[in-house]
Amino acid sequence: MKSTIPLVIGCFVGWFAFGELYVPHEDYRWVFEFLRDQAQILAAMAFILGGINVIQVNYPKIRRREADWQYKVVLLVGAVAMGTAGLRWHALGGEADSGSMAVSGTAAVGTGYATLAFDSADRDALVIIDGAPPVRAWHSGNPSDITKPPGDQALSVQLRPGEHVITVRKPVEGYAKHEVSILVADNEPTSAKYEILKRWVELLPAAAAVLPINVAPGQVVTVSTDLVMYWGAGSPHGRVFTWMYDHIFFPCNATMFALLAFFIASAAFRAFRARNTESALLLGAAILVMIGLVPIGRAMSPIFPEIEEWIMDTLNTTGRRAIMMGAALGAIATGLRVILGIERSHLGSD
Amino acid sequence: MAAEQKDWLQKLQTFDRRWIFLAMGVAIIAPLFAPLNLPVAPSAMVKSAYYTVEDLKEGDRVLLSLDMDPASTPELEPYYRAVLLQLKRKKVKIVIATTWYAAPPLVERWLSSTVEGRIIKQGDSSYHGIPDDPYVKNEDYVWLGFREGREATINGMATDIRGTFDNQAADGTPLDDIEIMNGIESLADFDLIVMVSAGYPGIKEYIQQAQGRGNLRMVGACTAVSVPEYTPYYNSGQLLGLVGGMSKAAEYEKLVGKIGTATQGTDVLNLGHVVVISAILFGNFIFFAGQRRRRTLRSGKV
Amino acid sequence: MGHLSAIDLFGYWLGIFLTFAILSFLYKDNPVYKIAEHLFIGVSIGYVVTLQYFDVIKPKLVENLAEGNLRYLIGLALALMLFVKAVSKRWSWLGRYPIGFVVGFYAGLQINGVQADLTKQMEPAMSSVVVDKVNVNADPAEALQLLPGMNPSIAKRIVEVRAEKPFASIDEIDEIPGLPQWQLDDLEEARGAFNGLDAQASVSSGDTFWFGTFAKLLMLMGLIASLVYFYFSVEHKGAIGKVSRFGVWVLMIGFGAAFGYTVQGRLALAIGRALDVLGRDKDPALAAQIDGGVVAVISIVVIVGGIVAWELLLRRRRESDTNK
Repeated sequence: MKSTIPLVIGCFVGWFAFGELYVPHEDYRWVFEFLRDQAQILAAMAFILGGINVIQVNYPKIRRREADWQYKVVLLVGAVAMGTAGLRWHALGGEADSGSMAVSGTAAVGTGYATLAFDSADRDALVIIDGAPPVRAWHSGNPSDITKPPGDQALSVQLRPGEHVITVRKPVEGYAKHEVSILVADNEPTSAKYEILKRWVELLPAAAAVLPINVAPGQVVTVSTDLVMYWGAGSPHGRVFTWMYDHIFFPCNATMFALLAFFIASAAFRAFRARNTESALLLGAAILVMIGLVPIGRAMSPIFPEIEEWIMDTLNTTGRRAIMMGAALGAIATGLRVILGIERSHLGSD
Repeated sequence: MAAEQKDWLQKLQTFDRRWIFLAMGVAIIAPLFAPLNLPVAPSAMVKSAYYTVEDLKEGDRVLLSLDMDPASTPELEPYYRAVLLQLKRKKVKIVIATTWYAAPPLVERWLSSTVEGRIIKQGDSSYHGIPDDPYVKNEDYVWLGFREGREATINGMATDIRGTFDNQAADGTPLDDIEIMNGIESLADFDLIVMVSAGYPGIKEYIQQAQGRGNLRMVGACTAVSVPEYTPYYNSGQLLGLVGGMSKAAEYEKLVGKIGTATQGTDVLNLGHVVVISAILFGNFIFFAGQRRRRTLRSGKV
Repeated sequence: MGHLSAIDLFGYWLGIFLTFAILSFLYKDNPVYKIAEHLFIGVSIGYVVTLQYFDVIKPKLVENLAEGNLRYLIGLALALMLFVKAVSKRWSWLGRYPIGFVVGFYAGLQINGVQADLTKQMEPAMSSVVVDKVNVNADPAEALQLLPGMNPSIAKRIVEVRAEKPFASIDEIDEIPGLPQWQLDDLEEARGAFNGLDAQASVSSGDTFWFGTFAKLLMLMGLIASLVYFYFSVEHKGAIGKVSRFGVWVLMIGFGAAFGYTVQGRLALAIGRALDVLGRDKDPALAAQIDGGVVAVISIVVIVGGIVAWELLLRRRRESDTNK
């Protein structure tokens, strides 16, 4: 009961997956795609469980003050901090607010172009007009120099008649981005006052992001924005989440692997001995390939890269082919054992 | 005299490996301040990868699969930038996806700086080709996002890509609303598949699960450790080009015309390889010297 | 990239500090390394758990159930059974159901997948051992462009030139009119009677590329010998033993080449860190704001100081233990 049904499930699902390559029938594919979705859900769930398990194992160790318990505290703090940053707080109660972008106008003198003045609640906001390089919304004389810190002068641009796309964003990821399309009309200004237009611009779904607003030439129009910070994992990623990924996860992950560079040099020193013909062949090939791969080898003689290419194309391909064929036969044998129900070790003991 | 020699050999045999760490550290840092700038010449596999992408026409649709993590960026990011420049200057539509859980924030950072921005900045005098234009989200490119499942995800992409990504792009836009995805049901509907692959799942799984279904055109880049594993696929024609590791990525950068971190890094590799080869020879020297010592001692006793 | 805010500047500095904290492991396992390592593991866990939920579970399970696709209750049930396995020892056998499901499904996928390794790999191995030279006067451009020194534009030019007047010998190749000098130089460099242009190309059909044929023969013999080595049902002695030994030699050369590539791969990882810390892979204005070199030196000093303090503390503790 406890092991038979899982085996039966495995057999059924396995045969279904195996048959997928050969059966074009619509209904079959519909079931297969459903099964594949469940497999993906379970794969993701396994990671979540792994995470829970680590907390389960380490929390008692901290409580009982076992050896090295202080480091486990660091571990838990890191996990909780990242998990908190990864939750979409706004989404828990509904859809995320994306801040506001208001475009307002009053009648003014002037012809031929409309003046667009910016009033951004975010001092470091960048404005992109019609795909040009970004300029500062608050600057101290030269809005194009974004390497300088924000200043006190508000950005003001002039738009000729036609359609213009204005994007306002923060310099870093993890914040809302606003886009508005402004159509500057060709005709003379009327004496009527424009209503103050206030629109909530959502980033998702994308279709609603660009709203046209008609502006007559000679108008002074103000664009005020307030860019909300996102929280959470999943696209688009939140600010804190991205920061922790960029400055903790990224350097640590990369450096852990970088340690290998040093270990491989010391392993080459300690373990690589040409004791017999086989290991001498291995060493010889390794040294030839290492010389052939780098420009200094080519500078010494163009024959080294040629040798390296030839060894890879001929001898390495041959050896690998044999290994691949052998491994393929083994994989087929093991796979068949699983979907025939002969293999039970993955289910554990009773 | 014999007693002195014994000390010398014994000392070498208990050589602290941390000196080798130090030598390696110096080998990595020093060339960054005194580069050799030796020329690189593209090899056959790299040329084949380049020309396969060059054969694309404007409006073709390409799947770019960025299956990587932070640790593999030194080897794979240069290729990603070079091939993206190639694709953008050909005005090809790009669909981007990933099967590695560590990739999404990295990809999204790159999307805003390289895909929606410009790779060739205005005023860049080192590049002499056609510059690239910014791409618009969901019009020129689509970011499908990440799905766990490894082979199951890749198999899903090969049979039913819309269902695998739940009929939505990563930002929630329904795929039915995105023009680039019109008519794309599976990987066979793409004109080329470009794989930037750090390991498992990656090029091997794509070839196993997808290449045979319709003889798909595939090129890719991989980390150097995977190159021996993937060359048989190039040899058999299942892979149309392979750019393996940092030195091959530098060759690719040369073909595309924009020098980047791979060329800088390959310069440093010179000294690094010399250190490892020296370590091997040094270790073998100590070993054989010790062997000879033992043999003479033994024959002396007899 | 513009002006960096204080938080982001601190972030870059933190990244550099953590890089050296982890590198301190090369000296020996120490508290600074341990703190960085545990911080990394913790952040990874938080990262993976939230990402898997929002990128996979939410669109596939939560949204489907919300839309009313009740068949996804099966997925929810299996996921909960897996969850039970983690929290309860008594009911952990429930976890076998989802595990059986997943293992069975992937087994089915894999049987189909590895066929690519068998059938498609056997084709080139079984193809003709004799390799013919490429005929520059007759073969299509696709075949020409794979020759050493060639590229599609040269191949196209050759096709144009030979239509007017066929090539009389390979020597005429590096004198083709209408090509830039650097391409002609490449072609001249690619000439070679052993493995170069002269060996691989000819002006008529039927000539043999001898080195290529030798290589193909070697590959076929090597493949058979390696497969014989892997066949353990028969004892490897006598003739079989010699063949199997040759197979081992082929495999060893392959592994040596793999080691050469592995060295490059590992080195690249460390080089990447160096480029990142020194800011060589960033926009110069940004790198100047971060000032990676200075921060690196400060980090090293702080970490070394920390390790020295720790070692002194350990020594004092050991001394007080022995004095007791």
